[in-house]
Amino acid sequence: MHHTARILIAAAAMAIATNARADTAAVVQDHIRPGFSAFAEAATTLAAIDSCDLETLRPAFNAAYDAWMQVAHLNLGPTEDNGRGLAILFWPDPKGSGWKAQRALLDGPAPSPEQMAQQSVAARGLPALERLLYPTEALLTDRCPLIHATADDLAATATTLSSAWGPFGDLMLTAGQPDNSRFLKPEEATQTLFTQLATGLEMLADRRIGRPLGTFEKPRPDLAEARASARSLRNITLSLAALKVLALTLNPDSPKTQAAFDQALSLPEAIDPDTDRLTDPQVWLKWEILQQAVRSTRDTAIAELGPALGVELGFNSQDGD
Amino acid sequence: MERRTFLATLAASLAPRLTWADVGAPAFLAAGKQGEIFFLHGLTATGTSLFRIALPGRGHAAAAHPVRAEAVAFARRPGTFALVIDCATGATRHRLTPPDGMQFNGHGAYSLDGSLLMTSEVLAETSEGRIGLWDTRTYARLTDWPSNGIGPHDIKRLPNGRLAVANGGIRTDPVDRTKLNIPDMAPNLTLLSEDGALLDQINLPDLRQNSIRHLALCGDRIAFAMQWEGDPAEPVPQLGFWTPGSAPVLCNPPTAQAFTMQGYAGSIAATPDRVLITSPKGGALMLFAATGSHLATHLRADLSGAATAGGIFTVTDGQGAVWTADDAGLAPLATGDTQWDNHLVGLS
Repeated sequence: MHHTARILIAAAAMAIATNARADTAAVVQDHIRPGFSAFAEAATTLAAIDSCDLETLRPAFNAAYDAWMQVAHLNLGPTEDNGRGLAILFWPDPKGSGWKAQRALLDGPAPSPEQMAQQSVAARGLPALERLLYPTEALLTDRCPLIHATADDLAATATTLSSAWGPFGDLMLTAGQPDNSRFLKPEEATQTLFTQLATGLEMLADRRIGRPLGTFEKPRPDLAEARASARSLRNITLSLAALKVLALTLNPDSPKTQAAFDQALSLPEAIDPDTDRLTDPQVWLKWEILQQAVRSTRDTAIAELGPALGVELGFNSQDGD
Repeated sequence: MERRTFLATLAASLAPRLTWADVGAPAFLAAGKQGEIFFLHGLTATGTSLFRIALPGRGHAAAAHPVRAEAVAFARRPGTFALVIDCATGATRHRLTPPDGMQFNGHGAYSLDGSLLMTSEVLAETSEGRIGLWDTRTYARLTDWPSNGIGPHDIKRLPNGRLAVANGGIRTDPVDRTKLNIPDMAPNLTLLSEDGALLDQINLPDLRQNSIRHLALCGDRIAFAMQWEGDPAEPVPQLGFWTPGSAPVLCNPPTAQAFTMQGYAGSIAATPDRVLITSPKGGALMLFAATGSHLATHLRADLSGAATAGGIFTVTDGQGAVWTADDAGLAPLATGDTQWDNHLVGLS
């Protein structure tokens, strides 16, 4: 995009922002849009590598994964549309459907970018690349074409996603205006972001930490996210840090929430990043303490930010029947 | 019966009974919270409130008498009472209490002629299901039938007088609603005759943790909505169709939307050629054709209530909006400061 065009778009966004609630505007402009833009850039850098050397590809893969962790908790709007979020990170995959689909692709001719975009979301994105870049079994077929097809598809998805956050961000910034039928009241956009914060912390505790944690009798390190690339604990830390940014951008003056995040964020450094060590009761307990700290951070954030922002979690979504 | 109660009952049965037309011909009933107070509203097809009646607490669902301007509002589970409300005056005509050891379980249905009210109930200790029968002249308890399953939730009367029962399969703690049997729960969908005899029943042997909870009639088929209690990472259907006498057909969305509903359908509504399910947890609704194919997904936080009027879908959300939904999208009909509750009840 031309530099001038960027400036014009930024100016338009700022003009719109004057009508939005400050909390929502800050998150859209300082957290969401830069985050998706950085991810698109990292995915594009990865796709541009004209090599099949695993050691050459892995740093760019990790940079893209790191960038995704800054925005992975923002599962709304363009991320939810067309299953884009799932096409970037289909995890957990308890039935191993992603690898099954990839095996079939490896046996045939290399898919074109268009064909790749039509594949099951389980066969695409970061976990699909991880299985190709960190193989756990020897393969007879050349995986190089599929690596490039998967990386190209990821870059295309990331670029589309980042662009789509332009107009969708504008919808959030114009919440409550007469022609906005997506967000009927100004506080609805804020409530949506507040819900993402609560849901993101739940997912972190229940899935990223909870699945490998299993039970004391039966830890399940094999269920950890990004285990082959040894990113499991790193992803937990990055996700927690990104959720902290979301919380404090939504409501900068949140001392209890900030303290709860800082407490939780202090825990991973004392944990061995090797998930296999979860079978050691001492290590298992450290993971469990981390999970409790994340849950307690969620409770604190809901209690502190909800009243400050004047929003609640969903009336019906929290009820259930 | 005490003399006073007898006289009150007599007066109630002799008082002129106004019809729905007399109260403005609402298209829907909906419960909602405004400030700290819960109300039952009558809504027009365009989402305008015609009347509102204060409720003693948060309800779950309501059932509307087919003729009289009279509704039963059920307490949330475990339900110890249901209120028969005169929608013309706002007066509570009767307070229904299930027999000792039993609890209401959220939903009810009137017979076609309005002479009987049927209520989904459980034995509190075991969650074994019953269908309670009430004479709507006096709302006296007549009897109850086995629901032929555990934890019945929604019930629907078919045009031929038969009753479909969603036995959700979940045994709950009689006091705090804690789910007690998730590993070995076994929901089923049951068809009862007009006099309560078991006519047919299906279950989902491969999806036993998919609780069958809500029902709608789609032509001559029963559409059922489910809530998944198993591993949230497993993609499972939230919608099925059943023609009694044959096997159920389950409907899956496209893979990319396998988790949009978060395994949870909160309400279901149907026209002869479409079914709509909502997920407040997923902030979404999905439309399926009667053939079972997925037609559309629309996103909106906290969508829950769903019903039809004149072949058009109306949905409500917990943020105060009433929407009309079709394949193309959602369009707002009305917005206000009432947070609409779980269910929207059609009066057609």
